[in-house]
Amino acid sequence: MREFLRMVIVLVVICGCSGLVLSYTNQATRNQRENQLLKYVQGPSIKAVLAEYDYDNDPIQDRTTLAMGQDAKGNPVEKNVYLAKKGGSLVAVAYASSGSGYGGEIDVMVGISMDGRLTGISVMTHAETPGLGARITETAFSDQFKGSDIAAGVQLSSEGGTIDGISGASFSSKGVITAVGRAIEIFPKIKEEVS
Amino acid sequence: MSVANEFTKGLWKEIPPFRLVLGLCPTLAVTTAAENGMGMGLATTFVLVCSNLLISILRNVIPKKVRIAAYIVVIASFVVIVELVMQAYVYPLYNALGLFIPLIVVNCIILGRAEAFASKNSVLPSVADGLGMGLGYTLSLTFLGAVREIIGNGTLFGMSIMWNSYEPFALMVKAPGAFLCLGIILGLMNWIGAMQKKRG
Repeated sequence: MREFLRMVIVLVVICGCSGLVLSYTNQATRNQRENQLLKYVQGPSIKAVLAEYDYDNDPIQDRTTLAMGQDAKGNPVEKNVYLAKKGGSLVAVAYASSGSGYGGEIDVMVGISMDGRLTGISVMTHAETPGLGARITETAFSDQFKGSDIAAGVQLSSEGGTIDGISGASFSSKGVITAVGRAIEIFPKIKEEVS
Repeated sequence: MSVANEFTKGLWKEIPPFRLVLGLCPTLAVTTAAENGMGMGLATTFVLVCSNLLISILRNVIPKKVRIAAYIVVIASFVVIVELVMQAYVYPLYNALGLFIPLIVVNCIILGRAEAFASKNSVLPSVADGLGMGLGYTLSLTFLGAVREIIGNGTLFGMSIMWNSYEPFALMVKAPGAFLCLGIILGLMNWIGAMQKKRG
C-alpha cells in the first residue's frame, strides 16, 4: 500500500511540475510565436490576397483587433483585421477565417474590398491529403474566388455556384467554401467597425 | 570511468546513429540539408542533456515500477519546451523539421540513455553522457545532411559550393538517398573499426 501511494504521489508531482513549466513556457513565448506566424505564414498570405489590389501602406503594420462577440463557451473572440489603404483611405481588408475540411481545420486568409468583392483568398494552414485535398493551396483553385461579388456568395459549381471544386476532394473544397462563406458573413460587421 | 570518458564515448566509440544505430527515423528523414540535420541534432541534444540531468537527480525518488512513465513525462515536457522555443525564434527551421520535433519524444536515444545511464549514475557523468551523445548525434546528422545536400543540391548550409556545370543528383535529397548515404557511412565506419582492431 505504501509503495502504491508513493508511485501515485511521485507521478502526480512530476506531471504537475511538468504542467506548470509548460504553461509558463507557453505564456512566455506566446507573443514571439504570434509575431513569427505573422511574418512567415500570415504575412505572405496577406500580400497574396491583396496582390492585385492597389494599396500603398503595410497592412500588417496597420492591423487592428476587433472583438467579435463570444464563442460557444462564452469566451470573447478577437479577430485581427489587416487594412489596405490607398492615400489614407481604406480600400480593402484581409482577415483569417476557417472551415473544417477532410483532415481538420483549414485556415484561409480572405481579402475583401470595401465595395464588396473578394480580392483573393489564400490557404494558410491545413491538414488535407497531399496530392488530393492539399491541392486547395494551388492558385488554379484559389484564383477562382478573385473578383466574386460577396452579395452573391460563393458556392461549388456542383451546387449551382461558380467555383469548380477539386475532383476527389469535395470535403476539402467545401472546407474552403465554408471558410470564405464565414468571412463574407462577418464582413458587414467588420466594415462597420473599421470605417 | 571518468566524466571525460563519458563525454567522448558518444563522439566516436558509441556515436548514436552509426554505432548504436539508434534514432534512425529522424536521421533518415530530416537530413535533406546540413542545416536541418544540425537543427534536429541540437534540439535532440538539449532534450537529452536536460532529461539526463533531471532523471539522474530524481533517480532515487522515482519508484522502479513507474520509472518509464516518469521518464516519458520528463522527456515530453522538454520536447514541448523545445518545440515552443523553436516556433518562437527559428520558425523556418521549425517548419522544415515539422512533425519530427514532437517525435523527439520517442527517439530511442533519449529514453535509452535515461534508462541505461542516467537512472544509474550521478548528475555529472549523466550530463556528460547526454552532452557527448547529443553532440555525436548532432555531428552525425550534420555530416549526413551535408553529404546529401552537396551531392543532391550542390550547396552546403544553403551556399553554392560546387562548380557551375555541376548537375545536382537529386536522388540524394529524396528518401532513397538517405538510405544509400547511411548505408555507405555505416559500411565505412565498420571498415575503419575492423582495420583498427586488426592493427591493435
